[in-house]
Amino acid sequence: MSAGAQAAVEAAFRDEWGRIVATLIRRTGDWDLAEECVQEAFAEALRRWPTDGVPARPGAWLTTVAGYRALDRLRRSARGAELLEQIAHDPLRSRDADSEDDHEEDATEMIEDDRLRLMFTCCHPALALEARVALTLRTLAGLTTAEIARAFLVSETTMAKRLVRAKARIAATGIPYRVPPPELLLERTSGVLAVLYLLFNEGYSASSGDELIRTALCDEAIRLARLLHTLMPDAPEASALLALMLLQHSRRDARLSAAGELVTLEHQDRGLWHRDEIDEAERLLAAAGPLAGGGTYRLQAEIALCHTREAADWPRIAVLYSALEEVVPSPVVRLNRAVAVALAGDLEAGIRLVSELAQLGELAGYHLLPATHADLLRRSGDLAGAAAAYRHALALAPTETERRFLQLRLDELDP
Amino acid sequence: MEMKYLQLICIEGETGTSEAAAAMRDHIGPWFEDVVRRRVHIVGKPLDGPETAKTVRVRDGETHVSDGPFADTKEFIGGLDLLDCENLDEAIEVAAKHPVSWFHAIELRPFAEGLEIPATLRGEDLRHLLQEFVVDGADPVDPSALMAWRQAAQARGALLLGHALQHRDTATTVRVREGETLITDGPFLETKEFLGGVALLSCEQAQDALELASSFPLASGSAVEVRRFIDL
Repeated sequence: MSAGAQAAVEAAFRDEWGRIVATLIRRTGDWDLAEECVQEAFAEALRRWPTDGVPARPGAWLTTVAGYRALDRLRRSARGAELLEQIAHDPLRSRDADSEDDHEEDATEMIEDDRLRLMFTCCHPALALEARVALTLRTLAGLTTAEIARAFLVSETTMAKRLVRAKARIAATGIPYRVPPPELLLERTSGVLAVLYLLFNEGYSASSGDELIRTALCDEAIRLARLLHTLMPDAPEASALLALMLLQHSRRDARLSAAGELVTLEHQDRGLWHRDEIDEAERLLAAAGPLAGGGTYRLQAEIALCHTREAADWPRIAVLYSALEEVVPSPVVRLNRAVAVALAGDLEAGIRLVSELAQLGELAGYHLLPATHADLLRRSGDLAGAAAAYRHALALAPTETERRFLQLRLDELDP
Repeated sequence: MEMKYLQLICIEGETGTSEAAAAMRDHIGPWFEDVVRRRVHIVGKPLDGPETAKTVRVRDGETHVSDGPFADTKEFIGGLDLLDCENLDEAIEVAAKHPVSWFHAIELRPFAEGLEIPATLRGEDLRHLLQEFVVDGADPVDPSALMAWRQAAQARGALLLGHALQHRDTATTVRVREGETLITDGPFLETKEFLGGVALLSCEQAQDALELASSFPLASGSAVEVRRFIDL
């Protein structure tokens, strides 16, 4: 097969899969049928493009082929005949039946909406979170069941069952295939964002599993966040989430040492950061409107952006953490605020915040609490206090790498 | 109008608080008016306390009636409504406006296909409820046995409506806490057996309801719970 045709099919798969599946689901109401027909259309492309040449508009070609396959199958089943009858009478379903020719503008708009419909349906809150994640990866991103199973460390059979049940549940419970009405839009959009961020974190933070698949998860999450941002340009949290993902992802090559150990932000080789991604994130945030009233992704992204500067602006980071704590009152956020306050110049206040947190006991067992305490005490000159806190942190640290790091700091106190 | 749902009023946690009572008093009326006006509400009523329930099992041809509800849990079903909604989002919205969801929970279960609502169905005619429980993974009920039971119950003039629900996997439970609608997939009660269908009966006498329960196909092998509806 010619490399050009092969590459064209791969590119079309990346760009068009979700779009075509989404359109076919709208037209047939049948998720399995839609997926199978789109798969067949891609198989057909692999057969025909090398000899016939790559069509001028691959997406339209694939949509047409998949659409005919679906019609064909529907005609052959009793349920299908009934459905075709409905389709004939449903303007929403039939309007872009010939998307290649007429009404092109309308059809394009409708198809863009299809992907949003699919996104909101895959991330519907009446589905279990793991089902939302699996459906999003399968139907929108086009990952295979085997790939999704590998990413979440379950067997392929388990993942296949999960997908079957999720699709059955959508049909049986009456989960609508639509973009939510205005009164639900904000709430449901944050549900979609949560699924995308979970996808990203699954790829970003887990240390076990197949490295290739994990990178793919991050890439897919970013692609879907970018899509959502394109489709909903007026949703500030969508662009903020995209920026946040880009900022975290830009450091992927600097996060691990040659020995495979985590490298903290301040010790990373900045030359390894992907500058273009940081720039894109910065542009997104600059266009995201006023910071006041910003949501959690906006605040986290702004903090991440501060950390990309040569010298971090700690007073600003402290203010951002304080705003974030108001939106998400979590002790971990407060711990981060304590560090920012201390490094912004008020060491006393930072230490006080950490001590208060320790007294509350909510983070008992979390080694970063005494480790942070130790670091701030060391900076204030209280070496005995710092040593005690380092020993406490050592006893709690979950990994060998972290224990080594803490032991090193402890040794430095007592030369 | 596309989907028909059973809305189960699920009582959990603290009951009888003055706050909950006040919310019910002030908001159940407007809720009802709204759902009737929108033609979402088909019929519905509260049930007598769970301690008044009888559970009927038939084993080796012999009928056993035990006192109390089928599921021996602190949580219980306090009433039900039949809803006719565009889709699950509308059913969730309706459930989230019901004051019970602010303090307890509401489970939404879609009915199996083919439910026809008789034009004569009226809330005031509801006297007894049969809840038919299914053992997960057990063989489905023989449709001809079910049909025969329905015909017999109708011949007695006692059956207002009887229909199967979709599998437990289709349940959605709605709670509203601090103004936020919390949605979970799955039924309110996590038991091995689950509610497979309901029958609304017009018979006044408990004895008649018990007889109908014992002749219901699921009474042998599983169980049927009999509860009395109460008038507001």
